Amino acid sequence: MMPIWTKSGKRHSVTLLKVQDCHVLRYVSKEESGGKTSKLLVGGKNGSPFFRSESAMEIFKEAGVPRKQKVSTFNVTDDAIIKPGQFVDVTAKTIGKGFQGVMKRWGFKGQPASHGQTKTHRRPGAISTNKAAKVYRGKKMPGKMGNIYRTSYGLKVWRINTKHDIIYVNGSVPGHTNCLVKVRDSKLPTYKDCNKNPPFPTFFADGDEKLPEDLYDEEVFQFTDPSVTYA
Amino acid sequence: RVSSDGKPEKFQPPPKPVIIDKLKLREKRRFLSPEFIPPRGRTDPLKYYIERKDMIQRRKVFNIPEFYVGSILAVTTADPHASEKTSRFVGICIQRGGKGLGATFVLRNVIEDQGVEICYELYNPRIQAIEVLKLEKRLDENLMYLRDALPEYSTFDVNMKPVSRLDHEEVPVNKLQVRMKPKPWLKRWERPKYNIKGIKFELPESKMREAQKWSQPWLEFDMMREYDTSKLEDKIWKEVSEGL
Repeated sequence: MMPIWTKSGKRHSVTLLKVQDCHVLRYVSKEESGGKTSKLLVGGKNGSPFFRSESAMEIFKEAGVPRKQKVSTFNVTDDAIIKPGQFVDVTAKTIGKGFQGVMKRWGFKGQPASHGQTKTHRRPGAISTNKAAKVYRGKKMPGKMGNIYRTSYGLKVWRINTKHDIIYVNGSVPGHTNCLVKVRDSKLPTYKDCNKNPPFPTFFADGDEKLPEDLYDEEVFQFTDPSVTYA
Repeated sequence: RVSSDGKPEKFQPPPKPVIIDKLKLREKRRFLSPEFIPPRGRTDPLKYYIERKDMIQRRKVFNIPEFYVGSILAVTTADPHASEKTSRFVGICIQRGGKGLGATFVLRNVIEDQGVEICYELYNPRIQAIEVLKLEKRLDENLMYLRDALPEYSTFDVNMKPVSRLDHEEVPVNKLQVRMKPKPWLKRWERPKYNIKGIKFELPESKMREAQKWSQPWLEFDMMREYDTSKLEDKIWKEVSEGL
């Protein structure tokens, strides 16, 4: 997490996400998948080839690409590109906290520390009513916390470093440092129209045009400029 | 020449002139700002490399001078609500925290009998200028105890002139022992955990002995806490000096 300043002088915190060897593994067209949009099977980070089963290995052999650690599906429309100023959803597995009590896991208030409490300071208290005569399904109780997939929505992309493939994303992201993360166009209703018409077509690796090393959003203060003044 | 005895003295050759090569002394002294050194952790060093590139970029445009905890600085920032759009604050640096782009320093001064502390970010683009009025070090790296000291030790003239000093000399260490206000203090500064050398404790011997009960003499021998930064510092110094 790093600070980033806008041209008006405001400070935001930013998470750095690295795109490490992402390759498209398989392309499933609309008719085959049966869903509304076509699907792309994308693989992430490189991993060792020894720990996976044969069937999984076949997918990689077909694509002709080194073995990936993480495979996930993306519902993809025709044009897809990430550029600064876009809004993005980030999914990852949260930090695992192990077996946790009800106060940490669900935010219950617990009981007072003194005034005659006997062995009751962090317990849930009552779990149901008398008339119900049962405990409802989904009652908040102690259990394993964390290590599940969660998404943070509507994060703005401030800056992209093309040399090292790093995306600067506003705010915090679930997961510990160096964990695998899935980045997607935002599906919030306010940003529905942002992603429809990208300004220029998808960038191909064998194209002639070269992108500059750093792509900034319009409002981001670049360190090559002099200090901010309010004149 | 005849000495007081009346006998002729043995010829003493004049003492050899000692040549102080000022350029070499200047090169020997190298100061790497503490926010460049990455903290101990499991993050990718690539992240620190990119942060350092940004920091060097900012330093090319804006000069951040060398200063330590205990030196007196004057900072001018851009303020949208001030009449002249800039605000200047003079104070003594009590603490330098943070690593990388988020590095901060806290300046303290007493203005019209009210103690004021402002925490500035070193790489904030709103800062227009940082001037070092007096460069010196103190006996500790954290002068938070000035909040419990008598206010005369934290008052500095707002229109102070910068103190001139030679470039190649060592940074002077001010061995001032500060007198405190009567207890209760914000923290128990006499405890060995804070390891403060810059206070003149006027407490009775019994209290000082009681405070030593909380000492942890095994801490300095703990090998897991050692963080050797010499090689990192060399690499980072090379990077930074090439950039600037």
